[in-house]
Amino acid sequence: MTIQNVSRPALPQSSGNRPSPRARFRRRSAISDLLVVIAWVSGPVAASLYLASGGLADVKDVGSFLTALGIVTGLIGTDFILLMLVLAARVPLIDRAVGHDRAIGLHRQLGKPALYLILGHAALLLAGYGASSGINPIAEIGPMLALPDMITAVVGTALLIAVVVTSLVAVRRKFPYEFWHVIHLLSYAAVIFALPHQLSIGGTLAEGTVQRVYWIGLYVLAIGAIVIFRFAVPLFKSWAHDIRVQQVEWIAPDVASIHLTGRDLRALGAAGGEFLIWRFWTARTWWHSHPISLSAVPTDRRARITVRVLGPGTRRLAAVKPGTRVSFAGPYGIFTDAARTSPKLAIVAAGIGITPARALLEGSQLARGEATVLVRSSTDDETFLWSEMRKLAEARGAELFAMVGPRARNSWMSQHDAARGVTLRSVFPDLDRSDLYVCGPQRWAEAVVADARAAGLPEHQIHLESFEL
Amino acid sequence: MRRRAVVASVIASAGVLIAGFQIGSAVTAGRTSSTTGTGTTSGGSASNSGTSGGTSSGSTGTTGSSGPAKDGTFTGATEQTPFGPMQVAAVISGGKITDVKVLQKTNQGGRSVQISNQADPMLRSEVLQAQSANVSTIGGATYTSEGYLMSLQAALDQAGFTG
Repeated sequence: MTIQNVSRPALPQSSGNRPSPRARFRRRSAISDLLVVIAWVSGPVAASLYLASGGLADVKDVGSFLTALGIVTGLIGTDFILLMLVLAARVPLIDRAVGHDRAIGLHRQLGKPALYLILGHAALLLAGYGASSGINPIAEIGPMLALPDMITAVVGTALLIAVVVTSLVAVRRKFPYEFWHVIHLLSYAAVIFALPHQLSIGGTLAEGTVQRVYWIGLYVLAIGAIVIFRFAVPLFKSWAHDIRVQQVEWIAPDVASIHLTGRDLRALGAAGGEFLIWRFWTARTWWHSHPISLSAVPTDRRARITVRVLGPGTRRLAAVKPGTRVSFAGPYGIFTDAARTSPKLAIVAAGIGITPARALLEGSQLARGEATVLVRSSTDDETFLWSEMRKLAEARGAELFAMVGPRARNSWMSQHDAARGVTLRSVFPDLDRSDLYVCGPQRWAEAVVADARAAGLPEHQIHLESFEL
Repeated sequence: MRRRAVVASVIASAGVLIAGFQIGSAVTAGRTSSTTGTGTTSGGSASNSGTSGGTSSGSTGTTGSSGPAKDGTFTGATEQTPFGPMQVAAVISGGKITDVKVLQKTNQGGRSVQISNQADPMLRSEVLQAQSANVSTIGGATYTSEGYLMSLQAALDQAGFTG
């Protein structure tokens, strides 16, 4: 691989001295793989804490076997929960290597297994302790609760159940976002409540053991990541950059650009295509934060975001007055130039998806002919920001295609273009050597991605940013 | 790339589990060798070899006379556990263990007192039933149990109690 790269002709001038997409991709996937390995191996490490304490020697009968199993499920379950905290903490290293959406995807996947492990931990230990003292698991509940720190542990488990149940898709839909969010914040309390009983009962994490040091280290890491990256850093940045609303500009019947002013905004390091999580400090909007993509790469004093008004929340957002103070977290996301893996760039954007696509094109260093852009809309009302896109494409030497018209059945394209045989490959002749960035309404974007997969594009060349509509 | 991560995870997991198991075996072996002493975990190699010699001669003596254990209250050694010292006394009457008294209980941090309070009566009843310090430890109170039983074994040794 390396040899091949060296013998290749140098990249066009505009790519300058930055590493090739291929090299950056290898580096990024190495970090990503390493993180994945660390995440999964932390489970067996938790089990090993018990093994290393010589726990197996205590296994003599059914009771002690159940107890041992109960301890191990508790250790692994807690490890998963701490892992979930780290995944939700928006740690820059994780965000850049695997992407925020993939991290949150894994966070979601771990929720149920973690809860089952913790419930299994309780049930197995009731059965195990019960069997050892010759009583049934139900009768063991009393003596169990008399153990030190068990009350907080039970409260922690109850909170955990509440958090996971309100996050089940079916349940989550029934409640407003804010309700889910407040319940979700209780998970911090849940993990902290669970800690004392882990340290005081049982020998695995006893005082003076290496296990105890490791375990407390895990807690410090997880809680520390949350405190630093979810609270401290955003608070500090919001204070330092002092962002305020300058003007709200309606650019389509239901789309508004919010122009922002602030201090030293370039220092945010926001790459084109990234999003931030915004909070507007008015009486009607402060309690709800919104993830919104930058629709232009920030200058020193100015930034711009563009939102589609979808419901009461975004409607209130578009009604904020100039001068409103804005706090934020971010920037996040890997819908950026940094995620490139291949020599060519292909962008497909629809609807409000034009915002990160536009910023991506603006923020990318491109050689003439390196990028091809397809913008798509059903009606003429949806063509906001297209004129800016056209100018940018011209300036960057990128080819721009526009596709307007109602969507064809079973396709992401317009009826007209689908009928005349347009394909992904006819728009992007260099598809195999391209990174395909897709951004738009979720269903539509998924259709584009499915088409790209069918065309044989490898997974690492597909970059998806979907907007839930 | 993803296959690389999966393979690495599996190998690393297996390694971690094996390492844990190995360390655990070593820890357990260490624990057993210290219980085969007279119950006091401390003591240099000289005193160890001395006691083992004494025990062997003692045991031939016991098989010869097969005399009953002495009656009375015998105080066991103080055993250090991660939760504090543990010491018990055995009451022997008519060749049987009739009671176990807790002289010092694990006390570190206040929590272990509760553990001890719960585990001690359970251990006592098991010991009285088995007429031996060779009973299983109480789940959730492993260190307390081990300290309790080791101290008890030292007391029984003093009494010449062989069950």
